[in-house]
Amino acid sequence: MVNPLFAWIAFFSPLIACIIITLFFIRSKTYSAWISIASILISFVCTLFLFGQILPAHPTAEFQHSITWIHIDSLTIDFGVLVTPLAVMMLLVVTGVGSAIFIYSKGYMAEDPSPPRFFACLSLFAFSMIGIVLANNFIQLFMFWELVGLSSYLLIGFWYEKPSAADAGVKAFVVNRVADFGFLCGIILLWSVSDFGNGRSFLFTDLAGIVHQLDPNLLNVIALLIFCGVIGKSAQVPLHVWLPDAMEGPTPVSALIHAATMVAAGIYLLARTFFIFESLTEVLTVIAHIGVITAFLAATLAVVENDIKRILAYSTISQLGFMVMSLGLGGPVQGMYHLTTHAFFKALLFLGAGSVIHALHQQDIWKMQGLLRQMPITGWTFLIGTLALCGIFPLSGFWSKDEILALASVHNPLIYWLATFTAGLTAFYMGRLFWIAFYGEAHASHHEHKPHESPPVMTIPLIVLAIFSVIGGFLGIPHFLHPQEVHHEMNISVALISSFLAILGLIVSYLIYRKRPTQEPLEASLGFLYPILKNKYYFDVAYRWYVERVQQTVAMIFFWIEKVFIIRLGIHGVTGTAKVSGNVLRYIQVGLVQFYALIFVLGVVYLFFILIKL
Amino acid sequence: MIGLTHYLLLSGILFSIGTVGITTSRSVLKILLSLEILLAASNLSFVAFSRFNGDYAGQLIVFFVILVAAAEVAIGLAIIVLMYRRLATIQADELKDLKW
Amino acid sequence: MSPFFFYLFAAILILASLAVILARNPLYSVLSLVVVIFSLASLFMLLEAFFVGMVLLLVYAGAVLVFFLFVVMCLNLNAQAFTSVQQSRFRWLGGLIGLTFLLELFWVVKGLGETQVMAASSVRGTIEVIGKILFTDYLLPFELTSFLLLIAVFGIVALAKGSLKIVGDVEEVQQRRENP
Repeated sequence: MVNPLFAWIAFFSPLIACIIITLFFIRSKTYSAWISIASILISFVCTLFLFGQILPAHPTAEFQHSITWIHIDSLTIDFGVLVTPLAVMMLLVVTGVGSAIFIYSKGYMAEDPSPPRFFACLSLFAFSMIGIVLANNFIQLFMFWELVGLSSYLLIGFWYEKPSAADAGVKAFVVNRVADFGFLCGIILLWSVSDFGNGRSFLFTDLAGIVHQLDPNLLNVIALLIFCGVIGKSAQVPLHVWLPDAMEGPTPVSALIHAATMVAAGIYLLARTFFIFESLTEVLTVIAHIGVITAFLAATLAVVENDIKRILAYSTISQLGFMVMSLGLGGPVQGMYHLTTHAFFKALLFLGAGSVIHALHQQDIWKMQGLLRQMPITGWTFLIGTLALCGIFPLSGFWSKDEILALASVHNPLIYWLATFTAGLTAFYMGRLFWIAFYGEAHASHHEHKPHESPPVMTIPLIVLAIFSVIGGFLGIPHFLHPQEVHHEMNISVALISSFLAILGLIVSYLIYRKRPTQEPLEASLGFLYPILKNKYYFDVAYRWYVERVQQTVAMIFFWIEKVFIIRLGIHGVTGTAKVSGNVLRYIQVGLVQFYALIFVLGVVYLFFILIKL
Repeated sequence: MIGLTHYLLLSGILFSIGTVGITTSRSVLKILLSLEILLAASNLSFVAFSRFNGDYAGQLIVFFVILVAAAEVAIGLAIIVLMYRRLATIQADELKDLKW
Repeated sequence: MSPFFFYLFAAILILASLAVILARNPLYSVLSLVVVIFSLASLFMLLEAFFVGMVLLLVYAGAVLVFFLFVVMCLNLNAQAFTSVQQSRFRWLGGLIGLTFLLELFWVVKGLGETQVMAASSVRGTIEVIGKILFTDYLLPFELTSFLLLIAVFGIVALAKGSLKIVGDVEEVQQRRENP
């Protein structure tokens, strides 16, 4: 039987690390790093134990352990853990990939002035993420959802002296806030109608039982509202604008939060609460369309970027679009599968990019050349990651992406063709990145520093992640998640078409970029499209216009209302009245005692008058 | 015959005269004198009630009232003397330091 | 016989009190008050409150009013400084209020109904009776009033030592001092 203690230890271990670092080791570079790494490794080990306990108890292994936290009349909020195969797998990804990244960042942040703060925030993030994974009710999930947003803000704006970094942190938080508002509305709406005899509940297990009894229209609304949270957290269109700017944070942060785990939290949420979405065909269609549009849009934007991290950021958005699309097509298993493999190779790619940035101290791909020769480990692992992302057989990305494409081909041809085309684009822009930065001869004059390979503390995680990127397809993840499903034959045609397009993309990019053209050739060939892409489809412009014109106007109106009514009428009115009445009444103080006596007697006469009448 | 009401009426008239005196006098000395008239009025009504209700308490109260009135007049006159020393007048209107 | 004396003393009382508030000369006011006290004492005798009547005479006419006279003489107030009611600002208002008060009192007394006739010798306020009650039931107030008188003496001594500093309009006061 499953011992809940492992779940709780895995849960709180990073929090304890964060507290210890903040209180005691805020000045020590090495100790803070080791405490942090130790905590995440403890979480990983506990997760392995949980995995070992879940595995034999398949297929319906699921257990819950919760304490009633708040209980007021009809409001009950629990605090607990719900361990399912889905949760365990997500937890393995978070703690496993997390451990690799934590170890990596010890080397990456070695020259930074304040690593302890970094590791404290990183541990806080780990705690919050594990909280999302293990939460057994909506309120707890939401709490940690917000906490993860906070950690993200802290880490994006880690180098807060840079204005762009601080702004990026605020942007991420505000955009997520907008989405979370919808999310919270959905949660509360669901709770308010969840009374079917037992009282209202936030627990997933309770809600799963009663969800089919609810009015379908209401359920549609709830589902869409909950999906709002996903749009924000997992950077779907139109709330994807924060993720490219979030690259202002240190690269390990980008790897962990904005590639492997936090942004995947939205996907996880959808999978965890899929019982709400299962039967709602219209909502699922909306979700699928948003997913594929996001995937396509992001891929087109990645093609014109020159910053290595931004290319990877758009790639992440694109792959998240794939995952959301998969869930919209009714395939939570395929979505989670892709989430796992994506975590491996995207983290790998980001860490590789970090290695490059660490060596070269800059991020423009046009200033990099022939890195494969100069930084072999980084280069070759980066290649493996690239190939996995493009979905080349037999790497992990191939298997998971093809599962999704196969699902699409069955359900919706339009989405299928768009997704497949996007896969081709993915190969194109990743190839572009690789050919420009890594391929070819090293050109010494391009670099101020001679690029050398990174220290082992950074390269070993790269190698580990590369190994997982290769073998990830053979670990039996879909079976673990969905044991009842009988293994179906692989759709050969889908596999062939996607592989063909991927290789085509790689070849085309090779042909265009191997000679290192001085000016971006796409600029000429795309013509009028190029400025649109360069301006990111004017999303940021539109939002800025909205905030500056509409929101400011509304704010000014409220400011005016407050100034006139509340301050002038209310506050100054009260004080003014007091002043005026005081000014008038002071004339009563004539200072003549006789006058006072007169008034006194007048009062007595009047009183007498009243008493006589009675 | 002379009944309680006669005495009460008399006391009332005296009280009114005293009140008018307090509120309309220019000098503080006269105010003090009017105060004495007020006290006399209430003394009269006390004794009248005592006589007609068969209770000695009224007369004893009058005894104490006289005593206290004596003390109060003494202090009041001391204050008047002080006022005269400071302001060279005993007109009530001149005590206007607490005026707005 | 009784009614006649009552009306006599009542009339003297009222006239004398009117004289107190209407007189111009301060001396006349004080002396009128003496007459008031005497007539009041007579009325007390009519009500058979002998002891209280005598105390009234002794304390009031004997001590308090003498004290008043002392002050009037000391301050050397002339008729000008002691302007009469006619020149007071609120004369008419005060008169009006007094009249209203009187009318209200009449109203009350009218509502009392039958006039109670004085019972014969039911309460005679002789010195024996009053003395006995004073030293048994009302002993505490009796002792406390002696305390009160002591405090009054303290108060007067403290006041009499008050400073001569002029407060307010200095020139006016000095001018008043020079032209009494």
